[in-house]
Parts: sequence; structure tokens; C-alpha cells
Amino acid sequence: MRKLILAPIIATALMGATQAQAQDTLKIGLIQPLTGSVAYNGTADANGARLAVKERNANGGVLGKQVELIIEDGQCSPANSVNAAEKLIQRDRVASLVGAFCSSATSAVMPVARKYKVPFLSGVSSEASLTEKGNPYFFRSAETDALLGQAFSKLLADNLDLKKVAYIGVNDDWGRGSVKAFESELSAHGVDTAMVEYFNHGATDFYTLLTKLRSSGADGVFVAAETQDGSTLVKQIKQFGIDMDVFGVGSWATSDFINITGEAAEGIYAAVPYVANQDGERNKKFVKDYATAYDHAPGKYAAAGYNSLNIMMDAIERAGATDADAILGGLKATDYQAPNGRYRFTSKGQGYGFNLVLVQIHDGDIDVVATTRIDNPEADKNNDGQ
Amino acid sequence: MDMLFQFIANGLVSGSFYALSALGLTLIFGLMRVVNFAHGELYMLGGVMGWLTTTVLGLNFFAGLALTILVMGAFGWLADRFLIERVRDQGEEPSILLTIGLSIFLTNTALLLVGTAPLNVEGPLPNKPVFLGPVVLTELRLFAVAACAALILAAHLVIRYTRLGRAMRATFQDAMAARLAGINTARVYASTFALGTILAASAGMLLGSIYSTHVSAGGLVSLKAFVVVILGGMGSFAGAIVGGLILGVAEALWGGYISTGTVDIIGFLIVILTLIFKPYGLFSTQVERA
Amino acid sequence: MKIERNTLLVLGLVALVFPLLVGNQYLLHIGVMVLLYAILATSLNLIVGYVGEFSLGHTAFLGLGAYTAALLSLRLGWPVWATVPVAGVVSAIFGAAIGAITLRLRGPYFVIITLAFAEVLRLIANNWVDFTNGPMGLSGVAQPALLADASPLMAKRFYFYLALALTAVALYMAYRFVYSNNGRAAVTVRENRFVAQSVGIRPFVYAMRAFVLGAFLAGLAGGFYAHYITFVGANVFGFAFMISMIIMVLIGGKGTLIGPLLGALLVTLLTEYLRELQELRLSLFGLIVMAVVLFLPNGLMGFLNHRREPGERDGADRTAPGTQGGTA
Repeated sequence: MRKLILAPIIATALMGATQAQAQDTLKIGLIQPLTGSVAYNGTADANGARLAVKERNANGGVLGKQVELIIEDGQCSPANSVNAAEKLIQRDRVASLVGAFCSSATSAVMPVARKYKVPFLSGVSSEASLTEKGNPYFFRSAETDALLGQAFSKLLADNLDLKKVAYIGVNDDWGRGSVKAFESELSAHGVDTAMVEYFNHGATDFYTLLTKLRSSGADGVFVAAETQDGSTLVKQIKQFGIDMDVFGVGSWATSDFINITGEAAEGIYAAVPYVANQDGERNKKFVKDYATAYDHAPGKYAAAGYNSLNIMMDAIERAGATDADAILGGLKATDYQAPNGRYRFTSKGQGYGFNLVLVQIHDGDIDVVATTRIDNPEADKNNDGQ
Repeated sequence: MDMLFQFIANGLVSGSFYALSALGLTLIFGLMRVVNFAHGELYMLGGVMGWLTTTVLGLNFFAGLALTILVMGAFGWLADRFLIERVRDQGEEPSILLTIGLSIFLTNTALLLVGTAPLNVEGPLPNKPVFLGPVVLTELRLFAVAACAALILAAHLVIRYTRLGRAMRATFQDAMAARLAGINTARVYASTFALGTILAASAGMLLGSIYSTHVSAGGLVSLKAFVVVILGGMGSFAGAIVGGLILGVAEALWGGYISTGTVDIIGFLIVILTLIFKPYGLFSTQVERA
Repeated sequence: MKIERNTLLVLGLVALVFPLLVGNQYLLHIGVMVLLYAILATSLNLIVGYVGEFSLGHTAFLGLGAYTAALLSLRLGWPVWATVPVAGVVSAIFGAAIGAITLRLRGPYFVIITLAFAEVLRLIANNWVDFTNGPMGLSGVAQPALLADASPLMAKRFYFYLALALTAVALYMAYRFVYSNNGRAAVTVRENRFVAQSVGIRPFVYAMRAFVLGAFLAGLAGGFYAHYITFVGANVFGFAFMISMIIMVLIGGKGTLIGPLLGALLVTLLTEYLRELQELRLSLFGLIVMAVVLFLPNGLMGFLNHRREPGERDGADRTAPGTQGGTA
């Protein structure tokens, strides 16, 4: 019986492996959480990455070789992600690394990448300090909490006419970082803080939190939570009869989120770097290919995985070689037309040039309210200096 | 003051949910002395079954629940006969390791089969708010509290008044004597484990309809259930209810007046204090062996 | 005793030449992780195997050690040779405090209260942002200064020998403990608490000594972890580490010095090599754990001893001492 269930899984695993094991491939390692509590998002990222590689290989690969994507489960744990990185670098001899998802795991892999001189790109980790560590092997093709906060705070404060906002975040590095960033940015736009609270990942009952929210006198509530926690929280906000503007960050602009949240999702705002119904031919093609492969539209993590792999493969193609220095050069010169904008990197390896979208969920659809772009943060500083 | 009432109401509701999700463990850990670290996974399987029957197969809640009870009861029976029975009466270690192995296997196999996405369980009632003075609840929550009370009562009646219940009590008081009196203890153990599994799975399905569920929901549930059982006293249904309510209200007040980020700590502090000052729980009916 | 000591010496010699023969840094990394887990499993074994109580809170001491070393290194700039021993001492102090409370309980109560302590510490580490940096964790824990110019291979070798030295310390202390009056008394308590008491052994005292020593060794391992992984977050207190440790001790065979080492070696290699199976690997791992409980109830060492002494084949391991734990 057990064999019966597992047989197709083993078969697909083996098929995947043998297909990729064509001779003389170019190997790229991807570390994502595929088990554990953030596996949902890690899997989406890995799906996006697989699609990017499949497309590239169909078009002749990179430097004339087929790309072999080796995905390892880091479980978002620093130690396991380091194990995965050591394995990818030392045993599989990958040319470059992508991933680690959680900032804590990325932070632990960064010194490994530096020690072995392997270019390392994160498409998700949002802790601002990662690109401030002076690690020349590290690049990030994702918005930081701070950049997202900067980009949206004015827009939110004006559009929603906010006076006083309550902040609720998941109690991890990302949740705390996002709450901090939005709080300081919104305060700078004259919005008062009604309350700041965190909840633990996997919490199911938010009524206590909502009781405090109801009597906090806020006219809007900012939420930093991923699909599972976020949908439960949003549902309970509506059940509780709280009539406030709900806006937040997290993978909310997806069909999964809307299905699971149901009517309660009506009218909420989400600030995301990617949404499937953005304009542009590039995006339409990506959404179509992704939906063909996985039967649902891509969310922000699928796009992150897709983009980060494309950026890495572009960089290697541009470098014309697979040694670390060449790839680093290639990454620095990145100018990648993504479904959601044009990615480039600052001298510290922070990505910019891509879009950020504010969406509102309405009748089960995702309406784009506003689009803004992450500008070169270093250019800003130079301008200020002049 | 309104806040206090709401906190207490929240605490009582979530406390009765804690009691509900700990009921199965009261039987399995409290009576059978199997330190069952797969309890949360049984709960999770109940939620997954709920999703499968209501959302995928389109059955209504009660038909789905009946099917879940049937399947999970069989699962619990088999798990006991093929796994737990072989480590019976060997102290905690083998059973802890065995159930940890089982929980790793169940979580990750469920992950392979149904994926990582959150799963919706269709509830029997809409989640519309109900206002009782300053206190907000929902119909579904009230239903869940009632269902919780009904399940607890049913389990209590089974143990008190049925043949099986009498055999259970005899077996857990003195297995040797029970065997001598002609009780098929192997069957009693398996029935108890099956009953515990059914309670865990029903809790998982019921609460899944309120919160939605996912395949890695189990870990936290296990920990909280252990807190409730220790607090209430091993093997006591009344204890599980009181333990659950105390945990729920304590968490609501801690979350309300201190911070929600650290709310999980209160349960463990309560466990530590209980075990220091009243090690056999508030309602233990059993005298510790040895 | 002789066989155990000789086996340990042979294992030590093999470990000593291993990095010189192996140039593959991934294998060296696995070697370092095996040694780290060997220390942890040895320290847990002192409690599970020699006190006979089942602790699920041993990560408390791993975590305390890791945070101590990381904070001393990051905030005060202390070097490795100072942070790691202090990490051990801090863990030992907490071990004394926690042991004084928890060792009064036995059986399932001990299991749950130790788990509760580890969880409380994890939640504190995760929420006391000013001190531990909360969920953002402590990153960039310093590598030893002399590695500044070393090649990655040399650095790996250095860490391997450092871990080996710590493992040797751990085994030496465990060995001295087990084959001292302390250890014999602890075994007597484990086998039969009442007989032990009746011949004048105070169970609590011996259990405390084993518990504090176990905490000290886990703290050393934690300190080493902080410098090797360079990042410390609240997950060092988490249940995942606990599961690995307990599986290692029980698969290897508790109550022996070699068992936990075998367990550490086997489980670390297994989890790394099962990577090939991708998502399937954890399901398989769960099945393997269950199979070990069912078919090797006394772990590998129990199996080997069993083979060596065919005389006591039947019934011997069903009622094997120690498996009765605290329910005696």
C-alpha cells in the first residue's frame, strides 16, 4: 500500500534527476525551505526557479550548456541551510548559489559563500542589513522591509486618509522588520501609532489581539503575515466586526489567499513586489507559462524564484565563464527585464528598478491600485549630497 | 472593563478548544501513559480529512465528520496494534521515540500528498459575529464550544457506563488483574488509542473549519495539549476541561495586558509551576505508581 | 570497560588522521557536524543513559551555550578559547538551577517539565530583542583570528580538530564520570532507586552531578556551534535539535559511551545522504526511526552486545535495565 503511494513520487523524483543529469551541465544550487512551517512559500519559490531553468534550457541553456538546478531543503534553519550550502558547493560543485528564504538562514549561508568564493543571490530575504555587511559575494534581488515601507507609506497615508494606525506582525525577523519599517515611515508622514503587537507563527486565535485592536482607536491596521497566519487573521478581523482599513505585506495577492480567506478578503490592501495581473507582455507570458506548469497563477514568491534564477543565469551568460569573479562581474552588470520591472544592482548588491504594487482585493479579484518603482537607493543619497 | 470581559470570553472559547484538542491526549498520555508526540499529527490528519471530505469531495460537515471518525478510528486502532503495542510497558523512551518517528513520517507524508497550501474545511455554520453585550463571538465558535462539551460528555459516558469503559478502567488500574479477569487488554488498549485518535481528529476537523488548517499544524498542538493534560492531571476529563480553560484564560489575559508575542510562554510557566507545587495536576484521580 | 576504552581510543585515532586523508571540504564539514552531535549526544546520554530519566529539554543548554558564546564574542570581542569554556560554565550553572527543580520529578513529568524549560528559554531568546536581538538573531559571530588568512580547507581542518578536542574532553569527562563512584551510584539508581537508597546512595545528588555535567558539555557544544555556524537564533533551543539528539542516543544505544557516537555518525550521515531523495527523505527518516524502535530496542550497541553474548538472548532485552525508566 505504502509502495503504491510512493511509487509515482519516486518515479517523478528520479525522472527529474535523470533528465537534468545530461553531460557537462552548468550547475546552480537553490536552497529553500521545502519542509517545515514556511514550506508553502519555499515551494512556490522553487517552482518559479524550476520554470526559469526549464525555459532557459529549452532556448539552448547558458553558455551552450544545459543548466542543472539542484534544489536543497534548508528548512529556514541556519544550521540546515549551511549544511545544504556546503553540500551544494563542495559535493555538487555548483557555480553559484541562490536562496535561503528566511533572512536568518541567508545570514548564516553568506559567510560560507564568501569563504568558498561562490556568488550568492537571495530573491526573498528582506532584512535590510544583509546587503550592509560588505560581503562582495552576496546580491539581493528583493525589496528590503525599509524600501517597501518607503515606497508605500506616503501612498497609503494619502489614499486611505490614515490618522492612527495599529501594527500587527508575525514574531520573526521579517514581521518585526516590516512593522518597524512601516511604522517609522508612516510616522514620518504624520500618522500616529495606536499599537504594536506581534504574534507567533502558527497562532490560530487572534481574538485577544483583536480586542486590543478594537479599543486602540486606530483607523487602519497594518499586518505583516504570510498566507496561513494572514488569512486567519484577516478572517477574524472581519468576524470580529472591526471595520478598519486593513493593509499589509505578505503573499496576499494570490488565489490561494483569496480562496482561503473568502469574503473576508474584500477590500483589503496588500503591498507586494509582484502580482500576476500586472501589465506588460513579459508578465503575461510568465503568468501563462507558470499557470500551464502548475495550474495556478504565480504569487510573489514564485516570481522571486523565477527572477532570481533568471538574473543568475543572465549573469553567467554575460560573464562568459563560470568562475566566481566573472559571475560577480556579470551580476554587477545585471540589467534584467523581469515580469515586474527592470532589475539592476547597487554597488552593495541591493537590487532596484523593479516594481512594487499596491493591490486591493475586490470581489475575489486583485485590483492594482498603484504601482511604484524601487529607485536606486544610492543614487538618492548622492543627490542629497549634492 | 469591556476589554476584560472580552478577554475572558476569548479565553474561555480558546480554552475550550484547547480542552478539545487535548482530550485525545488525556486518554493516550493520561491513561495509557504513551507520551504521544504524534498527537498533533493526528489532529492535523483530522483537519486534512475534513478538507478532503468537505472541500474536495463536497460532503457536508457532518457526513465529513462521520467519515473522518471512521477512517481515523481505524487508523488509531491499527497504529496501536502494529506500533504502540510493541513498546507497551517499556517506560517512556521507546514510545516517545516511536511517536516522534511517527509524527515526522505523518507530517512529511501529508506534505508530499496534499502539499503545503493552507486547507479550508467547510464549517457547519457561517462564521457570522454574535454580540453578547460587549462581547463578540461567532455562531461557529459557539457551536464548537457546544460540540466540545458534547464530545467531552460522550467520552465521559463511554468510560463511565459502557462495557468497554469498564474494561478500560480495569485495564488502566491493573492490567494484570484485568487480564486475569478475562479482559482482552490488547483490545482495550487498541480501542483506547482509537478513541483518543478519533477525539484528536475530530478536534482537528472542527477547529480546521474555524481557522483553516495545514499539514505542519501539528507541532504547536502537541505542545499545548501536553500543557493542558499536565495541568489538569493525567487521565482526567474534568482536569482536561479545567486545564484547557485555565490555559485559555491565562493566555488571553497575558496577551491582553502584557504582550501577544510572548503569549506561548505562559503555558510553559504554568506547567513548571504545576509540576513543582502540584505535580499530579489539579484533578488527578490516579495515585502515582512507585 | 577495557573494550569500551580501547574502542574509543581507536575511534579517536581514526578521527585524528581523517582530515589529513580527506581533502573534500564537504566531508570535513560533515565530520565537524558529526563531532558536534557526538558531544551533544554524549552529554544527553549522561542524563538519559545514566540517570535513567528522559530529558526533552537538553536544547536549553545547547542554546544557552550558543547564545553565551555569540554574545561574548559579538558584544565583548572575546576570542574562541575564552567564549567556549565560559559557554560551558554558564550552561552548567543553569543546569544546576534547572536540575534542582526538574530532577525531583520522574517519568513523564520529568519529560514535560524539561521540555517546558527549553521552550521558555526559546521564547525569551526570541522576544528579548534588546539583549538577544530577538528573531533577527546574532549574525557574524567571529571566527578565530588565526584563521583570517587561512584557506577554506585549513579553516575546516582547524574546526575539525577543535571539535575533536571538545569531543575528547566530553568523552574523557563522561568516561571519568561513568567509571567513578558517581557513575556506579548513578547506574544503581537507574536500575533500582529503592535498593540504591537502602544502601545509602542519595539518588538526587548523583542525578544532579550527571545533569550538570551534561549541561556543561552541551554548553561547550553550543559555544562551538556559534563560532562554526556564525549565526545564532532562537531555533537552537528548538525541538528539531532535540529530536536529532534523542534519536542519536537511542539509535546508538543509551547507557554506553560508544552508542551516542555511533548514533551521531549514523544519523548525521543518514540525513545528509537522504538529501538525494529530496522531499521523500523526511518520510523515510520517520520510518527508519520507527523501525529502529521496533527492531533494535536497545539501539545498535544493544544489538552488538546481544550478538556478542548469545547466552542472554531471550527475554533479556525486554526487561533490560534502564528501559523501565522512571516507572519502576
